Amino acid sequence: MTNSANNPPLVLGVPSKGRLMDKAVALLAEAGLELVRTGHARGYRGELRGLKAAPVLEVAYLSASEIARHLREGRIAAGVTGEDLLLETMPDVDAVAARRIALGFGHADVVVAVPQCWLDCARMADLEEIAAEHHARHGRLMRVATKYLRLTRTFFAEHGVTAYRTTRSAGATEGAPAAGLAELIVDITSSGETLRANHLKVLDDGTILRSQAMLALHNATAETDAMQELAERVQSTTTIVQQQAAQEGS
Amino acid sequence: MTISATPAARIMALFAREGFTPVDPPIMQPADVFIEKSGEQIRAHTFLFTDPDGVAELCLRPDLTVPTCRWHLQHAADPAGEAKYCYAGPVFRYHARSDTPHEYEQVGLEWFAAPDAVAAEAQVLALAVQSVRAAAEEGAHEATQATPARQEQATPVPLAITIGDIGLMRALLEDIDMPPRWRARLLRRLRRPQAFHQTLRELSGDGERARTSLSPLVDELAEQPGMEHALALAERELDARQLELVGGRTLEEIATRLLEKAENRHLPPLAQEQVAMIEQLLTIRAPLKPAIVQLGKLADAAGAASRAAWQHFAARVEHFARLLGDDARRILFDAAFGQSFDYYTGFVFEITAPVRGAAQAVAGGGRYDNMLASLGGPDVPALGMALNMPRLLAALHGQEAAA
Repeated sequence: MTNSANNPPLVLGVPSKGRLMDKAVALLAEAGLELVRTGHARGYRGELRGLKAAPVLEVAYLSASEIARHLREGRIAAGVTGEDLLLETMPDVDAVAARRIALGFGHADVVVAVPQCWLDCARMADLEEIAAEHHARHGRLMRVATKYLRLTRTFFAEHGVTAYRTTRSAGATEGAPAAGLAELIVDITSSGETLRANHLKVLDDGTILRSQAMLALHNATAETDAMQELAERVQSTTTIVQQQAAQEGS
Repeated sequence: MTISATPAARIMALFAREGFTPVDPPIMQPADVFIEKSGEQIRAHTFLFTDPDGVAELCLRPDLTVPTCRWHLQHAADPAGEAKYCYAGPVFRYHARSDTPHEYEQVGLEWFAAPDAVAAEAQVLALAVQSVRAAAEEGAHEATQATPARQEQATPVPLAITIGDIGLMRALLEDIDMPPRWRARLLRRLRRPQAFHQTLRELSGDGERARTSLSPLVDELAEQPGMEHALALAERELDARQLELVGGRTLEEIATRLLEKAENRHLPPLAQEQVAMIEQLLTIRAPLKPAIVQLGKLADAAGAASRAAWQHFAARVEHFARLLGDDARRILFDAAFGQSFDYYTGFVFEITAPVRGAAQAVAGGGRYDNMLASLGGPDVPALGMALNMPRLLAALHGQEAAA
């Protein structure tokens, strides 16, 4: 699965749009590194300027999930993406990208959410029982709409929930229970607002992952001068930013 | 003496002699029925795809039990009558992290509506052991010629056989006075020791019950229990919060569980000696003879259901001795042993052999009485077993290399 024969090209994957991109650009600027789009303005290629070890580092603008996949396939040497996507995309993320730097933005939780009308369901143990009874009574498994198949399976297995099946959901997962496409969901949420608006509630012990944006370095090239320098400069910047945030908070 | 071409063919010949009819169900199966029977854990290892029109969800069979059940329901003249099938063919399982092949050969059998349950269970296990021997015939034959002094007529590899029976725990819980839902909960958690003991502690009132976000509602209902109140309370909540009923559950189902939680507060917890009996059963792990003695003592203390289950167990052990001879001494009873599929309902077994130094399961099986009915067929008992051929052959070859 991983490209072991050839090292990935020294390319940095950067989110191509949204808050994740804005924050990534700002963080890199803070570290004294400038992102420049090459070709026409909306192109998907760019350059990172300012590293001593690699004055011009190639950049690929990709969606956050593509960045995780490209990293897995060894098509990029480093990428900025969500921890949720890294863990979902790679069964053993350390075997691919052991060095991951938390960037202090893009905070969101991957959670198990059930309809609020399930008044009798507060914990995963409730869900385990409800799912088993549902299967025994109706002969059908409960459906969990999610794009996080792997995270769901691991977490449900840890809590002994077996009487369920996942159903893949690309977008608008929170609408699946109301639409009758699933009984419950596993989804990412930052404030829980969308879940509440859809009459869903997060189980008391239903937080699978507290995710945030990360810079992940492919193992095969993590020791190159360019990647070392990139990691160190991003690391020291995030540390400073986080210390400032902590001071402002106190 | 002539020996059939392949180990699989020799095993199939053995099954045919015992009255099993070879079947060859389709490799492609409807995904839905498969997932509904085996659950998400199997789905994670199953190759799923849609037909070219993007309509039907299909899968490559991850084992042959469900396909054989479906074959039986579609083709048998009398699906409720006794039927014995055997098969040899590829199964497909995805393993993300290991170098285990995604496609490998499985040889096995399924037996529906066997007239004598315990005799059939013992015979299926005996056939699994004989299959190992049949697979090894050619190798053993060659080895005998090379080294005439070598005399190992029993099994050619050091097999370890583990058996379990969820029926014993089901019977013990039946003998102990408690609400049926407590029994169901304990049985479901049987294969997860930590969750099982946690549940046992909760039901015995040991330690404080954790407060959750729904505790206030349960508090309210506990003051005035009863189904009417539970329904009224649930309805009031939904109205007040303007919630529609979604998620495939009725108001009755929700109110019933709320009521159970409220009633649990008033029920007497399990007594310490009852908890001790349950825990004692789980610790029994012994060869057949001492296991019979230990289980017998426990059953006498427990009650009628346990004694009946014990007689069942003892009868099965007699069949083991008759069918397996010395090999019966290789059997270890482990009360906590369970197969990895949820669909097993009683007797289960696993045969392991050393493969490259580590014990690996080469065969496994058991009883799964609810399967045919849940597939829309008649309510008849079923049992079966299957051998993982690549592992079995690796174990046999490893043995030759060591000899």
